[in-house]
Amino acid sequence: MNKAKPMMSNRTLTLQVNGQPQTLEVPSGQILLETLREALDLVGARNSCGIGMCGTCTVLVDGMAISSCLTLTAQVEGKHITTIEGLSQNGQLHPVQQAYIDHGAFQCAYCTPGLILSTVALLNEHVNPDDATVREYLAGNLCRCGSYVNILNAVRACHTIND
Amino acid sequence: MNYELLQPDSLSGAMEALAQHGDEAKVLAGGTAVVLMLQQKLIAPTVLVSIGRVPDLDHIRTEPDGLHIGPLTILRDMERSSVIQRRFPLLAQACGEVGNVRIRNQATLGGNLAEADYASDPPTALLALGAQVTATSVRGARTIPLEDFLVGFYTTDLEPDELITDIFIPASTPGSRMTYLKYKSRSSEDRPCTGVAAIAAFGAKTCTDLRVAVGAACEVPQRLPAVESLARGQALTDELIGEIAAGYADSIETLEDIRGSARYRTQMIRVHVYRALEELRNGHR
Repeated sequence: MNKAKPMMSNRTLTLQVNGQPQTLEVPSGQILLETLREALDLVGARNSCGIGMCGTCTVLVDGMAISSCLTLTAQVEGKHITTIEGLSQNGQLHPVQQAYIDHGAFQCAYCTPGLILSTVALLNEHVNPDDATVREYLAGNLCRCGSYVNILNAVRACHTIND
Repeated sequence: MNYELLQPDSLSGAMEALAQHGDEAKVLAGGTAVVLMLQQKLIAPTVLVSIGRVPDLDHIRTEPDGLHIGPLTILRDMERSSVIQRRFPLLAQACGEVGNVRIRNQATLGGNLAEADYASDPPTALLALGAQVTATSVRGARTIPLEDFLVGFYTTDLEPDELITDIFIPASTPGSRMTYLKYKSRSSEDRPCTGVAAIAAFGAKTCTDLRVAVGAACEVPQRLPAVESLARGQALTDELIGEIAAGYADSIETLEDIRGSARYRTQMIRVHVYRALEELRNGHR
């Protein structure tokens, strides 16, 4: 094999982040989590396990929850990305954010942006999910402080948002 | 981590990229496996061929002979497809058991098969269903039965220039009962310690056809036709179910990993094949 190894090239791409078009130059192999945090200073998505298990890096792509640690930025070119920073509208917290606060659904809060975004995705899919559905849906978002009871209470309170 | 990222927007473009770069290239579909391996520096391809822009690879299409599934179909769409839920419920079950919602929103069926990770649910269900994989390259297309496609530990029959372009599931005998039992030895979102997929057709009182595949406990999912045939023309008594479960437990060479020892897995195969057949006999699904 005499072929020279190609260098990781940069590429210019446009993402729709929290409703705003963002044109960026990123290394072509960069993961979305890194682009959000380093290039866009959106640090609500957090790095933890790096293998899609823990949920701290959860963002929504076209409304679907994904792990930004397992996604190349180039894969989501042109798609709509929602981070925790994009949920509030005109200074008003998103109802799910408010429910988490009202129910004290966190302690250290490292997992909270991911959990809130997963909850938003859950409520997009299920108008009035039962506890089993909530537990199953959020099983991939780990809270090492163990605030699960309050998280479940917060999500239950969110049902009324859809009514 | 120096690799060139190609994003062909047509199937022919993807074929040509693989023909040109073949053994130095990796195909990127959803990314849950390949991006993870890149990040962990477990693989070092010089070219990454992302097929996300190739159109028409995410179909779930019913045809008279069975169901055709595009390789870019995400597991979440498999899980929620009304056609799959109705006709092949064990496949919807198996896909719905993978990882967590985020993983299933990204991971694709083609990527799942191409990775050939033993600790996975869909391949076991697909093996029981008699699935076939179509692989396409600039040289042409060929269709491979899944048992020949899955060669070994993380190894498939795919040539470096080939891409999975279709996964076919032949129609099952009408009225077949089927189930997938995933056994997890650690957390709720864990990979399987063992997976059992079972399909049975019944006559008036007896079982007319039985297919059982066991995966995750061994390098590749396995069917044992000689053991399956014990059920043919017989009533599924507790005794017969026990005999079939023992046949699987005794014949499969189990592996050891963090989810269980080889000996433990042998016992879990016995338990879960038994439970799967009991469920089919009692008609819970």
